[in-house]
Amino acid sequence: MPDRVSIPASVQRFLFPSLVGLGVLAIWWGAHAAGMFPIGTVPSPVDVALAFKSELASGRLLDDTIASLYRVAWGFTTAVLAAVPLGLVVGRHAATRAALMPWINFFRSLSPIAWIPFAIIWFGIGDPPAIFILFIATFFQVVLATAAAAASVPRVYYRVAEELGLRGHHVLFQITLPAILPQLVTALRVAIGVAWMVVVAAEMIAVRSGLGFLIVDARNGLRMDLVVCGMITIGGIGIVLDILFSRLARIPSLRWGFDQ
Amino acid sequence: MSGSVLELKGVGFDYGPLSVIDSLDLTVAKNELVVCVGPSGCGKSTLLSLLGGHLAPMRGTIDRRGQSRTIYQAGGLFPWLTVRQNIARGLPEQLAGHARTTKVGEWLEIMRLADFGDHYPHQLSGGMRQRVEIARALAAETDILLMDEPFSALDYQSRNRMRRELVATLVERPRAVVFVTHDIEEAVQIADRVVVLGTRPANVRRVLELPPGRSRSPATPGVAEAEQAIMDELGMS
Repeated sequence: MPDRVSIPASVQRFLFPSLVGLGVLAIWWGAHAAGMFPIGTVPSPVDVALAFKSELASGRLLDDTIASLYRVAWGFTTAVLAAVPLGLVVGRHAATRAALMPWINFFRSLSPIAWIPFAIIWFGIGDPPAIFILFIATFFQVVLATAAAAASVPRVYYRVAEELGLRGHHVLFQITLPAILPQLVTALRVAIGVAWMVVVAAEMIAVRSGLGFLIVDARNGLRMDLVVCGMITIGGIGIVLDILFSRLARIPSLRWGFDQ
Repeated sequence: MSGSVLELKGVGFDYGPLSVIDSLDLTVAKNELVVCVGPSGCGKSTLLSLLGGHLAPMRGTIDRRGQSRTIYQAGGLFPWLTVRQNIARGLPEQLAGHARTTKVGEWLEIMRLADFGDHYPHQLSGGMRQRVEIARALAAETDILLMDEPFSALDYQSRNRMRRELVATLVERPRAVVFVTHDIEEAVQIADRVVVLGTRPANVRRVLELPPGRSRSPATPGVAEAEQAIMDELGMS
């Protein structure tokens, strides 16, 4: 359609969501100004903006964000480091797969939140119980995804590897691992999203910092403006994490898994 | 036979109760191009697995002198490596740093892939991918090359061109080739010898010697007759 003015895709990507955001903001503002919400149930956009300003000025919002990201970084990274090697073995070794798969599925189906009582009893308060919850939230997902991907690597690669003289762990790390990386990156993208959701829940119980704690603390003080401020921050960081992980798909040696 | 690189005597292989290969005798001489044709499901791929040492025969003996490399129908390249890296993978291990780079460069030239060294396999056409596969397998400098319907995924023109290129490359760097195909025309065009396999369990039904000179056209004397003889043997005429 050469006659019509078309908006470039790159502009659309920012423009369209911004328009939706502004629309929602306008409706929210209008409804609030018209007195449609019972007093104290929904804060006005202005209150939320003021809450943002004071939280940023005091540095608390930044501190809480860093606290949450710190826990996610630890829980997620340690879980991935443990889960990928185990997933490779489970995926490639039939007996191990038969023995462990039902149990991995069992634990994966348990909400990480269900571990909170144990987390507190085993690790006390502070960062360790929250990191433990995040470890659980990531570990079983990633083991399962790695194992499923490793089990479906085309057999021809192993034939070729055999002729090239690769043996034992060299096969695992030079054939199986690169062959599953695109699927693994997708699994990590899902897992980081889950971990970020779970950190907020974990912080509502066992710690006195972080974005989850900020929300619980604000609710206790009936500061709904602060609750919304926390929610917006959590959602925004969730988007940023997702974008960062989706960028991994651009690594040249992974492109083959996404271009087909 | 003194000059043989592969010698099979009374080889048999079963999958459970199903006998796929039985009492198969086959000798492949040094630098000979043997093409095996047979109906689909006759155990051609099993035969290649036996020849490559991926499977052990249940009966009989396989005497293999030297190492082998296999070229597969499609998708044998590592998609996470560039063309250059894939070919380098094939090189003998003892070849050191600089010599490796030079060798890979040579193979890229031979296979007319010089501009595509840093491309990944998924960015290439089917014919180019198959050339990379051939380069990787030949780069190993092994004595035996096994080819499992290597051109069957290509279109007609690429297939014809690849046959000619394979024959030309083998003139420069000769080695024994066992080429498996269901394409009779392909068999009679490039083979020194065509081995016709029977239906399951596969054994040698007939061996045809082709006139010297690979890369024959359908008009080359003896080609049409050979083609007819194979079709007769397979009950296709």
